[in-house]
Amino acid sequence: MEQLARLGRTGIASLQRLGRGHLLLLHMLSGLTDLTRRPRLLIAQLYSVGVLSMLIITISGLFVGMVLGLQGFYILSQFGAEEALGVMVAASLVRELGPVVTALLFAGRAGSALTAEIGLMKATEQLSGLEMMAVDPIKRILTPRFMAGLLSMPLLAAIFSAIGVIGGHLVGVGLLGVDEGAYWSQMQAKIDLHEDIYNGVIKSIVFGFVCTWIALFQGHDCVPTSEGVSRATTRTVVHSALAILCLDFVLTALMFGE
Amino acid sequence: MVQMRTMEIMVGGFMAAGFVALFFLAMQVSNLSNLAGGDGYQITARFDNIGGLKVRSPVTMAGVRVGRVTEISFDNTTYEAIVTLQVDRSYNTIPDDTFAKIYTAGLLGEQYIGLDPGGSEEYLADGGTISLTQSALVLEEIIGQFLFSKAEEGGSDGE
Amino acid sequence: MPQQPVNSNEPLVKIRGLRFYRGERVIFDGIDIDIPRGSITAIMGPSGTGKTTLLKLIGGQLRPDAGTIHVDGQDVHKLNNKDLYKLRMRMGMLFQSGALLTDINVFENVAYPLREHTRLPESIIRKLVLIKLEAVGLRGARDLMPSELSGGMARRAALARAIVLDPKMIMYDEPFTGQDPISMGVLVQLIPRLNKASRLTSIVVSHDVQETTNIADMIYVISNGKVIAGGPSKQIANSTSFWVRQFMDGLPDGPVPFHFPAKPLEADILEKAAAHKTGATP
Repeated sequence: MEQLARLGRTGIASLQRLGRGHLLLLHMLSGLTDLTRRPRLLIAQLYSVGVLSMLIITISGLFVGMVLGLQGFYILSQFGAEEALGVMVAASLVRELGPVVTALLFAGRAGSALTAEIGLMKATEQLSGLEMMAVDPIKRILTPRFMAGLLSMPLLAAIFSAIGVIGGHLVGVGLLGVDEGAYWSQMQAKIDLHEDIYNGVIKSIVFGFVCTWIALFQGHDCVPTSEGVSRATTRTVVHSALAILCLDFVLTALMFGE
Repeated sequence: MVQMRTMEIMVGGFMAAGFVALFFLAMQVSNLSNLAGGDGYQITARFDNIGGLKVRSPVTMAGVRVGRVTEISFDNTTYEAIVTLQVDRSYNTIPDDTFAKIYTAGLLGEQYIGLDPGGSEEYLADGGTISLTQSALVLEEIIGQFLFSKAEEGGSDGE
Repeated sequence: MPQQPVNSNEPLVKIRGLRFYRGERVIFDGIDIDIPRGSITAIMGPSGTGKTTLLKLIGGQLRPDAGTIHVDGQDVHKLNNKDLYKLRMRMGMLFQSGALLTDINVFENVAYPLREHTRLPESIIRKLVLIKLEAVGLRGARDLMPSELSGGMARRAALARAIVLDPKMIMYDEPFTGQDPISMGVLVQLIPRLNKASRLTSIVVSHDVQETTNIADMIYVISNGKVIAGGPSKQIANSTSFWVRQFMDGLPDGPVPFHFPAKPLEADILEKAAAHKTGATP
């Protein structure tokens, strides 16, 4: 009986959290009109969310592309199809690895930072203080961060994929001797603008939305103590990673499944 | 804290890098550059069987890409496939007795149309038709024929 | 905005029958408090009695489970968002930690409410900010970041920010806690001076008996969710009630027991031993 009650309590608590999360989302979205009047707030957040994530995204993109070049070459050469290396590298990057790995890195780099920042602002009463200064902290603090995350993610994913394709080129063409023309032309013949690139961008927009939402919610909903903030930060990374991978499956099934 | 000005410049750089990357993906990685514009003329060809040919499959002459497949449809009366090819403007001296064949690139590769030029003095123009075509080789049919002839040989041997 | 006619003798803040629960726990169990205009009113009580919660209720950040709070004739919890924000512009609040925004310097922190709520030109903002900083003695520290300030300085900077919009009332949340004697002395001097100079109404929430009785005109003592004493500070300081005496004199045991409620020590110890024994031999 106790077990059942505990299950019920957990269920109710999760539903309540879900409800608070959606209310927070609505509140953040209602701040969009205010944000258009203060573009500077968005720029500052684009800097901390986007620009500061660029280094890790570029380096990871380069190495993921190079690994894809190596692995792809060894598998494809068994079928005598080394020329298809370009397609393989580009398709895996644009469809899957670009959006997914970028989102995972984003959750670790920017998402955890957002949670910690908002959590600390809550713990040090800064959010409360803004409220008492008659400034809505959700519209003023959270909305710009939310928009910055939403905008940054597709751009970061595009940078990741582009750098990865170049990394694959470095290894495949430069090191392993795949024909340069074949690398690009097969890629161009097989990668479809709509099916592959658009869908990849849509994926990364969805991931940007979900990751930033989770990060901001965890920060805003955390227990305002140092322990609470550190737990919320961990939760952000775990929840974001799970959400990204599950959503990726759903989106892939919707987009590429007939 | 980073100065507002520096921040603006770096955000600008970030946005620019993102858009350049998107542009690169669209132009260099995907087939957008091939799709761009209707710069070319249309030819139709009829095939008994097109195998795995698809819209956007390449059209080549002597191995050089000269165009692509833009449309595939089915003729209800003759039961043939009608394939519309778009050939780049610059290749405007294709003889009208050109032979169109469906090839496969490698054992597992994609299918494409190869054009073998004939000797005619007349060139194909926009809306022209290639009458000489060879269907795709369907692996199952070839194997089927091969097995059938083997079986016949075996049968005659047994007698 | 339905502005009720406001009598100037009417208390600025009128709390009636306020009840507030946090889960199962009762924080306030029907309290009535009047805060007269132009006075310094202290709300005192042991830690954990929800003094900060009371300020958040007055500021409209929390909703009571029952009862009303009127500020300047308006029922705080019946206002819509816009009117509540308008009302908050006339309230200042000094948080325990200061609650300065950590990513901008002292000057910008103090200028923040002005930039948010007014369209004043930069030169006037600068003058106003410098005047307020001068009032708290931090004009020289305007370019420092909040992380470079000591606790007392951060609180003074926050005070400058709280009064920059010239509010009607200001709420101090534990202004003396964790201050060294000098900072404490500065604040003890600063609060009445500001109150007089700007014709403010101040609410001080504190458990520092000595300092608070020195500056307050009125004192309310809260314990166990009820107001156990209220009146002019002289009267409270000389009260003979056991409750009040224990709190004012800092006696370790009294109506507020030293021991957290528990069963008798012997019973607890014996039971533990028994439970341990049975647990060891399953």
